[in-house]
Amino acid sequence: MAASTQKPPLNREELRDIIDLSLWAGQILLQHGAETQRVENTVHRLGTNLGCEWMDILVSPNAIVATTISGEEFRTKIRRVVGLQVDMTKISAINRLSRRIENGELDRFGVRSELQRISQIRSHYKRWQVVLMVGLACAAFSRLFGGDAVVFGMTFVASAIATFVRQELSRRHFNMFLVVIATAFVAGLIASLPSAFEWGDDPQIALASSVLLLVPGVALINSADDIIKGHLVTGITRGISGGLISMGIALGLALAMEIMGVSGL
Amino acid sequence: MNDITSILWEVTQDMFWSSIAALGFSMLFNVPTRTLIGCVACGAIGHGSRTLAVELGATIVSGSLIGAVIIGLMGYLFAKRWHAPATVFTISGSIPLVPGRIAYSAMLSLIQLSTADPKTGETLLVRASINGIQTMMILGVIAIGISAPTLFFERTRPIV
Repeated sequence: MAASTQKPPLNREELRDIIDLSLWAGQILLQHGAETQRVENTVHRLGTNLGCEWMDILVSPNAIVATTISGEEFRTKIRRVVGLQVDMTKISAINRLSRRIENGELDRFGVRSELQRISQIRSHYKRWQVVLMVGLACAAFSRLFGGDAVVFGMTFVASAIATFVRQELSRRHFNMFLVVIATAFVAGLIASLPSAFEWGDDPQIALASSVLLLVPGVALINSADDIIKGHLVTGITRGISGGLISMGIALGLALAMEIMGVSGL
Repeated sequence: MNDITSILWEVTQDMFWSSIAALGFSMLFNVPTRTLIGCVACGAIGHGSRTLAVELGATIVSGSLIGAVIIGLMGYLFAKRWHAPATVFTISGSIPLVPGRIAYSAMLSLIQLSTADPKTGETLLVRASINGIQTMMILGVIAIGISAPTLFFERTRPIV
């Protein structure tokens, strides 16, 4: 397929631009919660549609390596990817960008300014809206687990405060595990009040539901997705990091429960 | 008859609460505003069909597979309708299916093992294993289910 297409050979300058742009798009995807298959496909499509003949990509959990090939020239670059902040708007925007390049609507310079714009997209939702809604979401989970109105209310308070704590700690760039443990601790302190004072029918549900905002759902689903599609290295790594975060949640909760003198099972 | 009505009532309530759960997590994941309604629909119908399947006698694992396949199909259709990648809908919609509570009790049992005495420790170990295995199986079937449409309909040669 690569040899049959008659693309004009690019010079080193153009190849450098192409690899820079496609790796940038790949970095945005990987950092904001895309699965490995999507990162590979998008980087490959971007590169080949911008004019190079072939692209080889290696996606590792915290870096992307790619090589562009055109005629007899080739260039290779590594891009580090750190931190995971799920952001579906950015993934969606990169997806649309890739479509537009495929239709020939954008050249290299257009792609660069578009990537600049995408990487600066802010959240659509205000912080207090997220705090309220995540609190409500965890409270809704407590309802699904069979909790009564008291448990619902306490879960809402605990999760909303925990979401706020997590936002504040993440903004100050604390270590990811520390953020998780501290957030689970705060949620656990508030959510163990019903157990400590025997409010409601099944007060333990509040403990289980209040920390659901921390469960690394995207990492765990992506881990299973990577594994079934053959990307074992990234899949296993994501699974382990998801498991460690779950361990951090349990640790923070256990600390809070020990202080409050309640049992969670 | 009474039995069917009570199951339907149960499922309706379930869909209401899981739509709120999906809404909260969609906002946390910053989904594009225009796709919010699709994410909520995926969450409500996906979790509702799992509850229905469990009520009708399925295990939690096969029920999750049914729910996830439905979410996958909905995401596949919504992706064409709203011009956004299917991931937006399937990931946000499958969050209510993620076995948070089962994982919680697995992890808590493991942590309590550190202070358990050998006699009662056995129960904790068994509980941790059962819940841990269930968590992994449910996550596995969620991943298979939500990518089922792509696995079936888009079997092209890998391009990379």
